[in-house]
Amino acid sequence: MIWMKLTFGGFGRRFVEAIAAGIVLAVTAATVAASLMVVEGARNTLTRAVRQDRPDLVEVKSRFNRALFETPRSGNLPPLTIPVYEPLIDPAELEAAAGDNQVVKRQSLFRNVVTGDSFLNIYIFGIDSDVERDLSGFSLARGRFLEKEDRAATVLDQASARALGVDVGGSFPVRKADGTDQQLTVIGILDKLELRGAPPRTAEAPSLRPASTVVSSGAFVNIQTSEDIFGRDSLTDALVVAKYASETPALVAKLQEAFRLEPGIFVTERYTQYQRKVRDFDLTLALFSAVSIATALLAGSFAANLLHDIYFERRRQYATLIAVGFPPGMGIVPAIIFGLVLGLGAVVTGGLAARALVPRTFAMPSLMADLGPTEPTIDWLVASSLGAIAIAAISVSLGPTIVRLLREPVAANLSEGSP
Amino acid sequence: MNQGFVSVRSVSKTYRSDSSTVGALCEVSLEIEKGEFVRLSGPSGSGKTTLLNLVAALDRPDQGEIFVAGTDVGRLSGSRASKYRAEQVGMVFQSYNLIPQLTALENVLLPMIALGHTNRDRARELLDLVGLTDRSNHNPSQLSGGEQQRVAIARALANDPALLLADEPTGNLDEQSAERVMRLLTSAVRERGSTLLLATHARETAEMADKCLELRGGVAISVRQMSCSDDLRSSR
Repeated sequence: MIWMKLTFGGFGRRFVEAIAAGIVLAVTAATVAASLMVVEGARNTLTRAVRQDRPDLVEVKSRFNRALFETPRSGNLPPLTIPVYEPLIDPAELEAAAGDNQVVKRQSLFRNVVTGDSFLNIYIFGIDSDVERDLSGFSLARGRFLEKEDRAATVLDQASARALGVDVGGSFPVRKADGTDQQLTVIGILDKLELRGAPPRTAEAPSLRPASTVVSSGAFVNIQTSEDIFGRDSLTDALVVAKYASETPALVAKLQEAFRLEPGIFVTERYTQYQRKVRDFDLTLALFSAVSIATALLAGSFAANLLHDIYFERRRQYATLIAVGFPPGMGIVPAIIFGLVLGLGAVVTGGLAARALVPRTFAMPSLMADLGPTEPTIDWLVASSLGAIAIAAISVSLGPTIVRLLREPVAANLSEGSP
Repeated sequence: MNQGFVSVRSVSKTYRSDSSTVGALCEVSLEIEKGEFVRLSGPSGSGKTTLLNLVAALDRPDQGEIFVAGTDVGRLSGSRASKYRAEQVGMVFQSYNLIPQLTALENVLLPMIALGHTNRDRARELLDLVGLTDRSNHNPSQLSGGEQQRVAIARALANDPALLLADEPTGNLDEQSAERVMRLLTSAVRERGSTLLLATHARETAEMADKCLELRGGVAISVRQMSCSDDLRSSR
């Protein structure tokens, strides 16, 4: 009880100043928390952008990045096996241009598959299963995904499987370039598919997302299998993964240089768009950090000044405790506890107020539109910043008192001010 | 050299500020035996409070040594000085220095808390001794100046100190209160066999003191063994 009174009692008219300091600190904390929450939200948006945009990826696509083999829809004529679209990408040339950056090869085919009495359009993708799994999103409903050593095995989406009337363990024939059929055994069924750099959906085919403008269905085989079907190792498209995102522009330049004589091959990147987001993030960070720092400095100084007055008036009391026999460290304990309770109480209140009042999504000013709306987020960084503000305000206000009490003779503090 | 309970040897103290230097004490020496009542007198600014602060280890001398019960109190660290004060020294200040938000009883308990034991019965006994039993739950602001100083005396006696230092304890009191406070102080000291070092302007205290030290401008101009001291000692 005595310690409670020593810590929180007897402020008299300074009680109003303590309340004012608490309110100022709470408002400061709320403003800083709100600003930092937007900054954190922007940081999360940027992280999401990195994950989604993959600025380190460069897409190399042929003009029509799908080798289409037409098969007559009726009659008894043999299937035509003419590759309709050229040019295609020479893998050796691509690997030479990519240097030590990783090349992810793809062959994208479109086939008419005979099912009973009719034909069904099916997209067939030859992929490097190990690498592609990290770049695109494959969600298996049944069975397993492709492994490197799988041959004549396929994983296909639920829509295609349903249209073909096959399930895991079943098989269906695909016409090869030499006119023979390749039996593909189904080893897995996908219920979700997010193919990175998916080709545009130009022909009617079973689809997981019928309204989508890009291909959202297909049968995935290892690239060796698709080379067997296609009859060549030329690629329809490929991804090149830069070692570091910052090296992407140089990689793009090298690829463009390599394929400058191939008007049907396009090199595209997302790095520039990503950089705009980074710039927006920097602007957001600068703007809201400036608001946070200015608020913390101005209002924090004001609160610290109010607290300093309180501590100055209590200095003689703390000195009295030391004079009657309390160790110097213990003599200033009430001052430290008072400051911590007031400061941390204020910033917790401010932080909670910010969390309650800040909108769930925050639209960037028009100049920062590239980053899009962010979701203000409170996390350990925001919480630590608020704690730091409280501790800084208390330290600044309490510092002179502690220095005087510990460094100056007790007698000097006993004779200072009024009791 | 024979050393008293309190031995002040050639102590000097100077206060320096940016613009000036003030010599508060200059080569002051004093020997006080255990149980002696020593009166410090002299005009304002003569160094009385400085000498008390140095003996209480509330300040450090620039030169010289101060021994209390064989310990050089001028060289104690902050925490050791606090322990020394809690165990051996009771202080009474002119401006009382009571903690305003604590009751009289709680103020008396403070030195005991500093030593790690809280004896409310003893605190009540001390308040009874100074005639404030019925005021134990009053805050200092609800007490008169004389009553506050009596609480301060009770606080100074809380840990039964061997040395009591009183810095003009009657300076802010009316004649009647001053007389009561002085009576309390002297009787408390006599009964307990404590040593009292009293800084005061009051002439009448000279009759009660065993020894008088007069300071002027920080210099001890006389140390007198009082004639009444033998009578007082014999009455103990």
